[in-house]
Amino acid sequence: MAEEFNTEGMLDMYLFENEQLLEQLQERVLEQKDSDCFDEESINEIFRTMHTIKGSSGIMMFDNITAISHKLEDVFFYLRESHPENVPHLELVEHVLTVEDFISGEMDKIRNGDSPDGEPAEIIAELDKFLEKIKGGGGKTGETGKPVPENVHEEPKHFYIAPVASSASRFYKIYITFFPDTEMANVHAYKAVYALKEIAEDLLYSPEDIISDPDSAQAIVKDGFRILLQSQSDEEEIRNLIGVGYDIESVDVFECKANEFLQGFDFGEPELKIDLESSVEDIEAKVKAAIDQSSQEDDAAEKPKEKPKMAPGDFVIKSKEPGKKKQLAKDKPKTEKASFISVNVSKMDQLMDLIGELVISESVVLQNPDLKVPGLNLTNFNKAAAQMSKISTDLQNVIMSMRMVPLTNIFQKMNRIVFDVSRKLGKDVDFEMVGEHTEVDKNIIEHISDPLMHLVRNAVDHGIETKEEREASGKTEKAKITLSARTEAGKVWISVADNGTGLNREKIMAKAKKQGLLTDGKPESAYSDKEVYQFITLPGFSTNEQVTEYSGRGVGMDVVVQNIQAIGGVLDIESEPGYGSTMSLKIPLTLAIIDGIVMETGDSSFVMETGVIKQFFSVKEDMMIHEPDGDEYVMIRGECYPVIRLGKWYGLDNYQTSIENGMMLILEVDSRTLCLFVDKLIGKQEIVVKPIPPYIKKIKGLSGCTQLGDGSIALILDPGGLVD
Amino acid sequence: MEETSGLKRLDEDLKAVSDERDAQKGKYMTFKSGNEYYGLKIQYVNEIIGFQAITPVPETEEYIKGLINLRGKIIPVIDVRLRFGQEPFEYNDRTCIIVISVKTTVVGLIVEKIAEVVEIKEENILPPPTLGRTDKTQNKYIYGIGKAGGAVKLLLDPDKLLNDTDMSMIEQGNDVLNEEE
Repeated sequence: MAEEFNTEGMLDMYLFENEQLLEQLQERVLEQKDSDCFDEESINEIFRTMHTIKGSSGIMMFDNITAISHKLEDVFFYLRESHPENVPHLELVEHVLTVEDFISGEMDKIRNGDSPDGEPAEIIAELDKFLEKIKGGGGKTGETGKPVPENVHEEPKHFYIAPVASSASRFYKIYITFFPDTEMANVHAYKAVYALKEIAEDLLYSPEDIISDPDSAQAIVKDGFRILLQSQSDEEEIRNLIGVGYDIESVDVFECKANEFLQGFDFGEPELKIDLESSVEDIEAKVKAAIDQSSQEDDAAEKPKEKPKMAPGDFVIKSKEPGKKKQLAKDKPKTEKASFISVNVSKMDQLMDLIGELVISESVVLQNPDLKVPGLNLTNFNKAAAQMSKISTDLQNVIMSMRMVPLTNIFQKMNRIVFDVSRKLGKDVDFEMVGEHTEVDKNIIEHISDPLMHLVRNAVDHGIETKEEREASGKTEKAKITLSARTEAGKVWISVADNGTGLNREKIMAKAKKQGLLTDGKPESAYSDKEVYQFITLPGFSTNEQVTEYSGRGVGMDVVVQNIQAIGGVLDIESEPGYGSTMSLKIPLTLAIIDGIVMETGDSSFVMETGVIKQFFSVKEDMMIHEPDGDEYVMIRGECYPVIRLGKWYGLDNYQTSIENGMMLILEVDSRTLCLFVDKLIGKQEIVVKPIPPYIKKIKGLSGCTQLGDGSIALILDPGGLVD
Repeated sequence: MEETSGLKRLDEDLKAVSDERDAQKGKYMTFKSGNEYYGLKIQYVNEIIGFQAITPVPETEEYIKGLINLRGKIIPVIDVRLRFGQEPFEYNDRTCIIVISVKTTVVGLIVEKIAEVVEIKEENILPPPTLGRTDKTQNKYIYGIGKAGGAVKLLLDPDKLLNDTDMSMIEQGNDVLNEEE
């Protein structure tokens, strides 16, 4: 990079933009990996993406990225211009992903300040081979030999090649008559035009202003809709494409001569040419709103459902059957495009911190001791204070929602992993995502990415059996991995479920025994399934005999558990032998601000998350049960709960020893109930969670600290640490 | 009052030195703990603050006194005397906290008394005394002994001060030092 320019900002922008482009690219590719071919919009999209990356990389002088994106662009240019048949779709998907990996890898290097020195020659050679293959493999007559144009450095729309009348072309006049009471006939007409574009070499229609002029609907109903079409297709195909809606009275297709065609419509209306390429989006965008309103079933939506039987590795696309429509981009539910700006994360964090400070100083003001002077008339103050509290709560909610990110990206990444790993292992695995729009705090996303990746990999590698094993055990359904997310009680549950073998209790027990993990004197049958499954989360524990590229080294599940625990989450394992297993992560929605109860014990203040506290209770001495070894229980309404005295637990000074002068908190943690005895309660407060400085080693039962209204510090109790 | 103005001057001193990086070289913040004076390279020192309320954290080493709120940032504070295994001392309003940052860790050091910023030239720094007895006698936090203006300062390695767990040797180190003198 040239040193004399300040490329810093440009570089950031470059990385950021391309990263997003690649993410979108991957998402799109994976979305369609199981279909027979890319739909037209995807081809255009991939083409554009590569074009953009090539352009920006060229500016930044990253030659290898430029070269490789150029090559992939060529491939997609060919696809888009020539619509070749017999494209090995999966091979194409792999090529795209390889290129994407290469570019991401190079971008990582750039990000770390290294120079992108990857050698793309091999991948480019592969792509060349692939391009040759699809060119030789059956493009349409007269187009196979079309050289990859050299003008790829220009704007995409310059690629538009005017339709050339090939000898096979035929010309048609089409009249569509709608029923007189049809509403929005213009939209229906447009749909016909849109469908015909697939096969059209040239297309004219009248009235021409069907999209923007609502009055055209009446004209169409009255006079019918006329189309002039040049195409290689036969009449039947055209009829099929137009389809028969309940509102179309009749479709008349007449073949005509080229010169007739060139005359256009008899009445000499100005011709309206549809730019087959670049205007698609524009037209579509305009008409989309109208289409949405039309409740009529979209004729293009009948996707061919038949799924060819495919074994991994030999995905070959069947040639397009006559009359069978290509999947139109329009089929997909389009998500509303919202406008976004990207903000530096550190600014967000700063804002978050500031709002945290604001919340604290708000309580400093509102709980100021000066206000406690007797006889003050605070009516107006209280009104203003309530207003201010409301605003600051709103402010907090907004900043929290700004930090919330849907899990979509991370789920997409998992999709990719399933794809890669299953292909490499020769397993044919379906991947399903449920609830990928669930939102969690950005910080949390960063922490769950690795554990989730590990779980998914495990599921493909260990969970799902090989094809032979599946057949042997008589399983007919396809191997499937389901990644799902949902929110429940302020927590996010993310589960990875497979329908594979499930965990093998005996195997795990045997291994645990060998490693000396079992408690002496406890019979093996006394271990619950849950306990047994927890063994696999111990370091160095892997029941997989074979170490594969992906798993089996015994490093992993323990790291997963550690990472999850670090953010206050839990890993839950369920398994049904022979029917698969489910690994669920239960993680908090956010780490930053929680609702807490502030309490005091000894000279220290503590905070406990409100959610786990079931009740406060004043306990009489006669409700207590003392065991000789010092353990205490309390009897509340016929139920007996263990008691932890916080002061004793932490060895504090000056804490309340008399049970009748303190306060008992009934906590429910992980379906266990216990009582916590503290000196007194202070109140409920929203607290900004801050980590305990890492210099202080981790203390059992404490998950963080916070600043209270008076500027003093309170420690945040982690109920999970108190159980156990 | 006198003390605070002294602190102010010290603060200005610190600012002045941070202006020029070269000026920091060879400068040491010195403080008294027990009978000895210790020196800490000035570039580790963020600031000096007066004593403030400390929130104790349970189940930590004795010398970790707890957490303080430094303008919204929560940092741990350690008592240097306890860290050295010396007798605890009563905190009063003249007790100061030196906030140091070592790598990414920010920690407050409670010291009895802040002395001054001195310049110690490279040639006036002796390696810490090693006696042939055992490894144990090697002092762990002190990487050198600096002579400045007729007095001797023990130069602290803050990294080890924060992260080393063994601390019983300082007394012996002092003895050795005294013998050498």
